[in-house]
Amino acid sequence: MHRFSGGDKALALLIMALAALALLVLVGPVLVVLITSFTTSQALRFPPPGLTLRWYQELFDPVRSAQIHRAAGNSLLVATLTAIAATALATGAALAIARSRAGWARFAEGAFMAPLVLPGIAFGLAALMFFSWLHLPPSLWLLVAGHAMIAGPFALRTIGASAAGLDPALLESSAALGASPWRTFRRVVLPLIMPGVAAGAFLAFVSSLDNVPVSLFLSSAQTDMLPIRLWGMMETALDVRVAAASGVLVAVAFTLLLVMDRAVGLVRRMSA
Amino acid sequence: MTEFNRRSLLAGMGAAALPLAAQAQTAMTAAVYPGGWDEALANVLAPALRARHNVSVAFDPLFAVDQIAKARAARGTPPFDVFVLDPGPRVSGIDFSLFESFDPTRLPSRGVLPDGYADAQGAAVAAQVVGIAYNPTKVPKPTGWRDLFQPQFASKLGLTGFGTTFGTISLIEMAKALGGSEANMDPLFTELRRIKPSVAAVAQPAAMPGLFQQGQIDLMYTNTYTVTLLRSRGVPIAFAVPETGAAAFVTTMHIAKGSRNIAAAYQYIDSMISTPVQTALAAAPYFFVPVNKDVTPGEDVPMRSISEINRFVTHDWSVINPLRAGWISRFNREMAG
Amino acid sequence: MEARGVWRLALPLGIAQLLFFAAPLLLLAGTSFSTDENLTQTSLRAWREVVGDTFHIQSAINTLRLGALAVCATALLAVPLALLHLAAGPVLRRIILIAAVLPLLTSVVVRTFSWIVILGREGVINTTLMGLGLTSAPIALLQTEHGLVLALTQIEMPLMLLPLIAAMARIDPALLDASASLGGSLFRTLRRVVLPLALPGLLAGATLVFASATTAFISQGVIGGGRLNYLPALVWQNAMVVFDWPLAAAMALTLMASVLMVAGLLSLLGRGARHA
Repeated sequence: MHRFSGGDKALALLIMALAALALLVLVGPVLVVLITSFTTSQALRFPPPGLTLRWYQELFDPVRSAQIHRAAGNSLLVATLTAIAATALATGAALAIARSRAGWARFAEGAFMAPLVLPGIAFGLAALMFFSWLHLPPSLWLLVAGHAMIAGPFALRTIGASAAGLDPALLESSAALGASPWRTFRRVVLPLIMPGVAAGAFLAFVSSLDNVPVSLFLSSAQTDMLPIRLWGMMETALDVRVAAASGVLVAVAFTLLLVMDRAVGLVRRMSA
Repeated sequence: MTEFNRRSLLAGMGAAALPLAAQAQTAMTAAVYPGGWDEALANVLAPALRARHNVSVAFDPLFAVDQIAKARAARGTPPFDVFVLDPGPRVSGIDFSLFESFDPTRLPSRGVLPDGYADAQGAAVAAQVVGIAYNPTKVPKPTGWRDLFQPQFASKLGLTGFGTTFGTISLIEMAKALGGSEANMDPLFTELRRIKPSVAAVAQPAAMPGLFQQGQIDLMYTNTYTVTLLRSRGVPIAFAVPETGAAAFVTTMHIAKGSRNIAAAYQYIDSMISTPVQTALAAAPYFFVPVNKDVTPGEDVPMRSISEINRFVTHDWSVINPLRAGWISRFNREMAG
Repeated sequence: MEARGVWRLALPLGIAQLLFFAAPLLLLAGTSFSTDENLTQTSLRAWREVVGDTFHIQSAINTLRLGALAVCATALLAVPLALLHLAAGPVLRRIILIAAVLPLLTSVVVRTFSWIVILGREGVINTTLMGLGLTSAPIALLQTEHGLVLALTQIEMPLMLLPLIAAMARIDPALLDASASLGGSLFRTLRRVVLPLALPGLLAGATLVFASATTAFISQGVIGGGRLNYLPALVWQNAMVVFDWPLAAAMALTLMASVLMVAGLLSLLGRGARHA
């Protein structure tokens, strides 16, 4: 903590210790999963008796894991669409809420959080009842709509935290210089709230990717979802491919994160 | 903002059309239990159905209770054509009239089933034998349900409640072994209260295999199917038939009310009970207990043919189902804290 | 982007939520006041059963308490880590960011297994403690409230960390240097400069963690076990096994209302702090 030179040493030590503990808590369980995914045993087991890449091979086997691939494709598609929809909707709402002191904004902020706090199983059940009542058969679009409702609050809260610090004077001066609202948004607002938007989109994406209760009701045989399939593989047979699937996801996200990091950094530099 | 929205949504729409592409042949949809069943039926039944009847089937992986809830919430537009259910949810399905009336004569293979296995509701497609699973490297073989309440066993026991069919009948069998009955579960709850502080886990069925593999529990109640599957994957687990007898029940398939693929649904169920399919399903790595009289069950199953099922303890689910809500609620309360 | 008419930006989300969330919610509310899910006859039976039964009230209290504990535990660890991120160089920052999102990348399914591995009787923590001679017999962690809070701390920490880091990103390093050069102690710098700016992030994180921990049905069930009772499991049981949809609906709405109240309170706090 070089910037706090001359500061309270004990406090700095305490902060460091807690931060180290935080890292351990965050990473430990993931390490368990990753190590388990290389086990030579036939079922999930920790510590593994030996290490092998076999489960990754099986996971990528186009014949034996065909159903997993299909479900993974569906889940990735739904998660991508969900992230796009939730982020777009939430960015607008977050800007509106951050810029207004009116009563409605306070109410909307709470109301928009509601989907997050209704148990997923109840929302899934209610959504299916409602769509059936409208004679809408399960479809990819309803599934995305359902996921976007759950993911929206994640995006809203994260983007909102970034938007809260926007300086109104900055926006007004941009408008005064004759910039259209869209241009002001793209050139001034978006770069400033980009860390929040990126984090919000990411949270929306993973919340959809890992959603069990809503998918349970709104998915169909055509839109079979990965977490539900993994759940079955885990429950009946402790299938090690479940751990390998997480290993793949971690690797993919790792790469994605580095790319995103670069992109966000780029945006920030451009705005400077 | 609006421009941004529209563009991103349109981009997404193009990408979304792909996995929904229509299939050739007659296409139908069947619910299937996620995991082992899903894999087995996709690998064995689906190819057989395509070869025999040119019917392609898509599977919707759902547990029995989820199938009932989903079909009920969908109010008359069934999300799939065929259910696969254990006895408890089966009775619920009948109560909520979720099934088309079933005509066994439309199953050409019905002769391979024991009498009564195909009725006006549906047809049996697999059996399940429920007893005690234990870790032979950690605990001695238990002789019966009463053993589970001995201190040396109770401290290694994983309990599950009345949420599943196998959990419910195991708990009923324990109640009987302790002097109670379906009508009088008090002896069971008294004993559960006594051992509650020492039992190794009270958990959801889904957690049991993991708890067992990692040594948190060394005893649980489950079916032979789970035991064989886990042992084939190297988990130290064995099946003990309780002295009062193992309990058995059948898993049944039903045609969803309002299905528009009834002919294909009959062909699907008929293929499921056919000798080649039942033989393949009974073997590794699937380990189903066959209902087909001509197929021999695997080595863990304490019967040599489905005809012996009369030796097993069976239950009347039309009696159990109305009582179950009360038991579930009582189990929650007794186990709390 | 004038402040007047700015509400129009919130309209798309509002309409989407009305269509896809509020309408199903209304149906759920109708169900809770009905004898069955077909809304054939109105009845207060479900609500009487929720409110008039100490077991259900206790389960609701347990659920809120779990959310509060999860918020405290995640904040205790996430704030120091976010501070470290603020002070760190680019490499350490990247490491922290990656660690922050890792829990979100392991599926809820396999996560349950990894917590059995860590908290179990023969698990990582117990083996370590016994190896160090700190305890002679395994201590119970799995299926206890502490164990569950620990697991939720990991699972929910990203929801606290990401808004915190995003909020702290706006802190001008020059401000920190200025505070330090003016002779402000570390404590003073944190309290006067960092925390006020990080507060919106902290409150956003607290809301997300609270909401997420109180509804984390799979983690609660598998890691917490059957001896701890929380509302989401009861909702599931009543909806899926007992088929008492009115009761399940009433419980879900009870949970939602109580968590929303807490979230609303946090949001008010946030506004108060922001406009102070």
